[in-house]
Amino acid sequence: MADVLVGFCAAVREGDLVTLESTTLAAPLLRVLYHRVLEAGAQPLPRIALEGLTDNLLRFGNDEQLAWVNPARKDDIESVDVRIALEAPSNTKRLSNVDPARQARYERSAEPLRNRYLERAAAGELRWVLSAYPTEAAAQDASMSLPEYEDFVFGAAFLDDPDPVARWQEFGERLDRLARFLMTKREFRIVGDGTDLRLVTEGRTWVPSNGRENFPDGEVFTGPVETSAEGEIRFTYPAVFNAREVDDVRLRFEGGEVVQATATRGQEFLREMIAMDDGARRVGEFAFGLNEAVPIFTRNTLFDEKIGGTMHLALGTAYPETGGLNRSALHWDLICDLRSGSEVYADGELVYRDGRFLNGSS
Amino acid sequence: MRDPRYDALAELVLDHSLRLQAGEVLRIEGEAVAAPLVVPLHREAIKRGAHVYAALDLGGLKELLVAHGSDEQLGFVSPMELREMDAVDTSITIWTESNTHSFSRADTDRRQRQLAAQRQVAIRRRDRIASGEHRWCGTLSPTQAHAQDADMSLDEYEDFVFRACHVLDDQPVEHWKRVGEQLQARATELDSVRELRIVGEDTDLTAIVEGRSWRAAYGRQNVPDGEVYTSPVETGVSGTIRFRFPAVFGGREVDDARLQFEDGRVVAAEAAGGEDYLKSLLEIDEGASGVGEIAFGLNYEIDRFTRNILFDEKIGGTMHLALGMGFETLGGQNRSALHLDLICDLRREGEVYADGELVWRNGQFLEDPQPARPAERVR
Repeated sequence: MADVLVGFCAAVREGDLVTLESTTLAAPLLRVLYHRVLEAGAQPLPRIALEGLTDNLLRFGNDEQLAWVNPARKDDIESVDVRIALEAPSNTKRLSNVDPARQARYERSAEPLRNRYLERAAAGELRWVLSAYPTEAAAQDASMSLPEYEDFVFGAAFLDDPDPVARWQEFGERLDRLARFLMTKREFRIVGDGTDLRLVTEGRTWVPSNGRENFPDGEVFTGPVETSAEGEIRFTYPAVFNAREVDDVRLRFEGGEVVQATATRGQEFLREMIAMDDGARRVGEFAFGLNEAVPIFTRNTLFDEKIGGTMHLALGTAYPETGGLNRSALHWDLICDLRSGSEVYADGELVYRDGRFLNGSS
Repeated sequence: MRDPRYDALAELVLDHSLRLQAGEVLRIEGEAVAAPLVVPLHREAIKRGAHVYAALDLGGLKELLVAHGSDEQLGFVSPMELREMDAVDTSITIWTESNTHSFSRADTDRRQRQLAAQRQVAIRRRDRIASGEHRWCGTLSPTQAHAQDADMSLDEYEDFVFRACHVLDDQPVEHWKRVGEQLQARATELDSVRELRIVGEDTDLTAIVEGRSWRAAYGRQNVPDGEVYTSPVETGVSGTIRFRFPAVFGGREVDDARLQFEDGRVVAAEAAGGEDYLKSLLEIDEGASGVGEIAFGLNYEIDRFTRNILFDEKIGGTMHLALGMGFETLGGQNRSALHLDLICDLRREGEVYADGELVWRNGQFLEDPQPARPAERVR
């Protein structure tokens, strides 16, 4: 895994400054990554997080403390060439009882940093990859044992293949073709149970996500026209954000904005997040998940948004490389399974049914 | 699991050592294995209104750097870390290690180069500490590795550490303020001494301290603490001394070292174990065979050797000399990349004479110090 992350995903080069970010649970993989980065002639900079510290801040911090931007983090974002981050949670629900308004304030404080980071990434000055190290907490969320979950993670990343890099390159070519096809379309309509939504993507770029910035990967995404979302959508999977879960989210859009938001669980949190700022009510990302080695929902966005046969919308900030203009402190991916009884029309033509693009689309 | 003793240690460091104020920026640094102390330090700093973050390392990474890094990688000093040193108001170093012997087999020269690069960051901070722009404290969170070095179970070692820090007292901050007053008075008394003579087992050493100032260490920059120290006159140390306790430097030990000094320099060195290592340390640079520090350990809760200098140099009833770097602010002029503390047990047969008068016998000063003049009392 370390070989692929350093050599292929982040393509670490001599002289790069490389931050390695995770919790202590990922120590075994962090050590190998550190070694591989050294071998590449680059400078590894460990940034080890303790989950308990965020909990402290959210529980006990005053408004000023919640809004504080750590200059050292800012300096990292301005200075490093590569950022390798590994999810490795010890408890994915630890923030469930935090006041959503305080959480929203904390998220807003990180926005300028995130924008600057995405800007440097879009300009090619900063390469990054987000991956996951299997932990008991993540396995529990996926309703698996840790060994089962490890198999799932490594399988999703094609690491069970004798030549994972070749597999990713081949898969990347397929995603490229699909992105080029989607670029020829102006408007999309998604139809399914509780869903009939239109989005305009004209003039925007569809980006193939091929294992460079997320690992595992496998989606194509764009930033839709900010005022274009019309209709309603029901997200079949629970929406997971910042160690909290919201079930059965239904959104109604008018003129690109969410005008109604309901959920059977976590509705208050959902509404608080959407009210975070102006951009949080608009769609920043529209994407299709295409990784067939991710067949099931595991309550982890990194994997769930790649599930082959799904689409997702993100409320909040857009990726600059798509041409999307929406900006927000929020980026919340909401995922919809399209594998049974769903259809997607592009400029009025049926292009996708029951989780697959039809012939000629890719 | 919350352990109130860790909370108490955190509060002592924040309130007594750092006197942390709302709005200040605090950096906590150390290995992630120190989490049991990092988390309460962070929480209590948040409660005090500070902006706090942790810069954590993982055990085993620097070892990879020393084993595999190129010259450039070994010598790399993070520009971001240097800028952090300029930016933060206060910092805490937690010296906890997950393995205290992980560099034992590493190439000494490569390890020294990595340490030299790392030292650049510490030097940047030292300058800001000296000018009063930065407040800093070093402490320790107990781990199995340190317990193992101390020949204890972790449970026993935790008891030892928290006793030494006096965080089990009702009012730890008040305790350390009292210690400050006592040690300050002792330091003031020693300021007027010209010459110390230390006599013990295989030991008869004279050190001229005239013109140097003594400093009381009472929990501001180290927790635990409890010593008075100065830098002796560079040419004024003569005689022989035997250090019964092993000296630990860079994860390696020198056992039962015996040194002979003439005019402030080591002229003969032997040791029951690690003699070659001792001799290689003395040759690091010109200043390595000179004396940078002479001190008395006065924390009587620390009653045994635990192979950790933070504790060992404060063992009540000992004195220590450090070879190498002296304290500029106390008048010390010796300069070296080395600062090797060697501890001499004076508890069973030890006498100290100050300008010919017996002032210490068997691990104790004979008389309490005269109270310091009001102007010099600890605030």
